[in-house]
Amino acid sequence: MNDFENRLRRALRPVEPADGFAERVMRALPAQHAPANVVPLVIVRQAAPVSAWRRFSAPAALAASLLVAVFAGQHVATLQAAREEQAGLAASRELMQALRVTSQKLDLAYEAVQRPAPAPAVEEENRS
Amino acid sequence: MNARIGLTLIALLLAAPACAQTRGLLKLPEMAALADKASESVTVTLDSNLLGLGCRFLNAEEPDEAAAKKVCQSLTGIYVRKFTFDTDYAYPKADIEGIRRQLAAPGWSRIVEARSKKESTDVDVYLLVDGGKARGLAVIASEPRELAIVNIVGNIDLEKLHDLEGQFGVPELQIESGKKAPKEASKPKAQ
Repeated sequence: MNDFENRLRRALRPVEPADGFAERVMRALPAQHAPANVVPLVIVRQAAPVSAWRRFSAPAALAASLLVAVFAGQHVATLQAAREEQAGLAASRELMQALRVTSQKLDLAYEAVQRPAPAPAVEEENRS
Repeated sequence: MNARIGLTLIALLLAAPACAQTRGLLKLPEMAALADKASESVTVTLDSNLLGLGCRFLNAEEPDEAAAKKVCQSLTGIYVRKFTFDTDYAYPKADIEGIRRQLAAPGWSRIVEARSKKESTDVDVYLLVDGGKARGLAVIASEPRELAIVNIVGNIDLEKLHDLEGQFGVPELQIESGKKAPKEASKPKAQ
């Protein structure tokens, strides 16, 4: 194993280029070379244009919910008030009816109390 | 031991307002059978909540309602049972006797007992007086074709009740506030 590693190291060791290598490479290069045609790679996908609906949908939904909540609350309050008024009017009618019955019966008692008691039968007989 | 006494006292103190509210309240029977027999029936059950609500909705511009408003503000309940029949004495007396037994309890006193043989009409007016104040009123009126039971609970201001005169035809019962009914009205018997 070590022998293999040593051979590999030897094979891959940096080697100094021969003299005049750089000049030879420069001479091999063409004098005028056409500029490379660079085509930009689209790496970052362009964001799709945000529609107005998408932009305002969340606030609109929030505003709509608030409006619905307000109107629903008002409606419930109106219904409750109407129900309370109905119950109150019914109760007031019952109250008036109760007081009328009470007054009628107290009147009956009053009339009975005020009615003069009939003269005793004995006295009547004596007079006749 | 002391804790137990303390708890008992607290319970009594808490129960006192509830007792005060129910004082003067009669347990009126259901009378469902009677309502079936009756050609016309009136059942009014107004506890303190309903009474308060009804009182609020009375029109103060109407004279009779304004007078009623003054009266009902201090009341905690009004209960009325009235039945009208097509035939004479179609109602059993047992229910009335049950109510009369409740009115025999301490505090209640019969201020008017009117018996009319001619018209076969019996009217009894009871008043519950507590601490010099009228706390309850009960009226039992039985006629051949009509039976009416009225129970009014609460601080009955007799002066305000007096103000109803002319509004509902409530007669002057010669009752002075804080005092018992005068002698001539305490147990009159009209024939």
